[in-house]
Amino acid sequence: MRKLLTIAMTFGLAVSTVYSTTVLADAEADRKAFKDYFVKKFPETDPNDFINGVYSIDKASRAQWEEIEEFPPYEIAIDSGESEWNKSFANGKGYKDCFGKAGVADQYPQWDDGKGKVVTLALAINDCREANGEKPLKYKKGKMADLLAYMGYQTRGKKVNVKIPNAKAQEAYDKGKQFYYARRGQLNMACAHCHVDNSGMRIRADLLSPALGHTTHFPVYRSKWGGMGTLHRRFAGCNKQVRAKPFKAQSEEYRNLEYFLTFMSNGLDVNAPGARK
Amino acid sequence: MKKIATLIAVLLFSVGCASTGGGMGSSSAMPANYDEAVAQAKAEIKKAKSMGHEWRDSGKMLKKAEKAHKTGDKDKAIKLAMKAKKQGELGQMQAKDQKAAGPWLF
Repeated sequence: MRKLLTIAMTFGLAVSTVYSTTVLADAEADRKAFKDYFVKKFPETDPNDFINGVYSIDKASRAQWEEIEEFPPYEIAIDSGESEWNKSFANGKGYKDCFGKAGVADQYPQWDDGKGKVVTLALAINDCREANGEKPLKYKKGKMADLLAYMGYQTRGKKVNVKIPNAKAQEAYDKGKQFYYARRGQLNMACAHCHVDNSGMRIRADLLSPALGHTTHFPVYRSKWGGMGTLHRRFAGCNKQVRAKPFKAQSEEYRNLEYFLTFMSNGLDVNAPGARK
Repeated sequence: MKKIATLIAVLLFSVGCASTGGGMGSSSAMPANYDEAVAQAKAEIKKAKSMGHEWRDSGKMLKKAEKAHKTGDKDKAIKLAMKAKKQGELGQMQAKDQKAAGPWLF
């Protein structure tokens, strides 16, 4: 009986090892192809500089942005996020009890086996609040964006390190990937049309940024918004621009999309928050 | 030469068929009244939404249709509702077409 059990366990372990290796190999191949494409397309850009979005590929825009970065418009959000982080909940606990430390943005989004879904940092913040009897925050701007700005700032310099631990996680990754490359809306355009194919090209007066490194600097202070916004706020904006009805922030669709897109930036530095036009 | 002409004819015929959207199997009959037009539009938009491909302006078109209906412009109201319905149908078509979407450059 013992022998049978040992054989079964060994077999199970072997299958899961083979599976996770295959799964990771597929996603890794995707990531390598994705990165290589941009490195080849923009040979003058240091591969690690793609975290700066459009400012990594256009000197004139970069010069303006560097001026802005001397007095970053997101600084107020970092301060406000810090005081929110340090504020205790009504039960005396705080974010620290959930996360340990603020600089954990490099580990998100992550696959949660118990919940059976991708958990983003924003979702984890609200899970923490609700577990401690607090109301959840809205996901697109305001206190949530401020908290994410502070946590991102505390993570600066760490490498993005998203993991795909098993088949269920791979399924979520694949859904995010399909979303990224699927045409949608009346304009019949995919995310990739702008940020892969046509990155570096002009769309009216603006340059389209390369997709590599897209997630590393969120949340951002966007001049168009006149304030801070989260990644899912931007996703919704992009969908609207191609005349597709956007999904809700933190919907399964956007969480999976974030999972895929962040995995593509694995190995790059977190440089949140950012300032964008 | 004949072969090329045949190929062009087949190609033009295919494009023509595709652009009519006949493959959706949709009810192209004009609805009898505004309420029916709206009901048809809502049903198609709902299907597109369930497939994750609702278009941005379909809802707005229905609102405009309602406004036109209230002001007594029946033709405009039905026309707008049918436009919204078409968007719902095209959204569904798009969803089916993009099911296996993936990278095309690498």
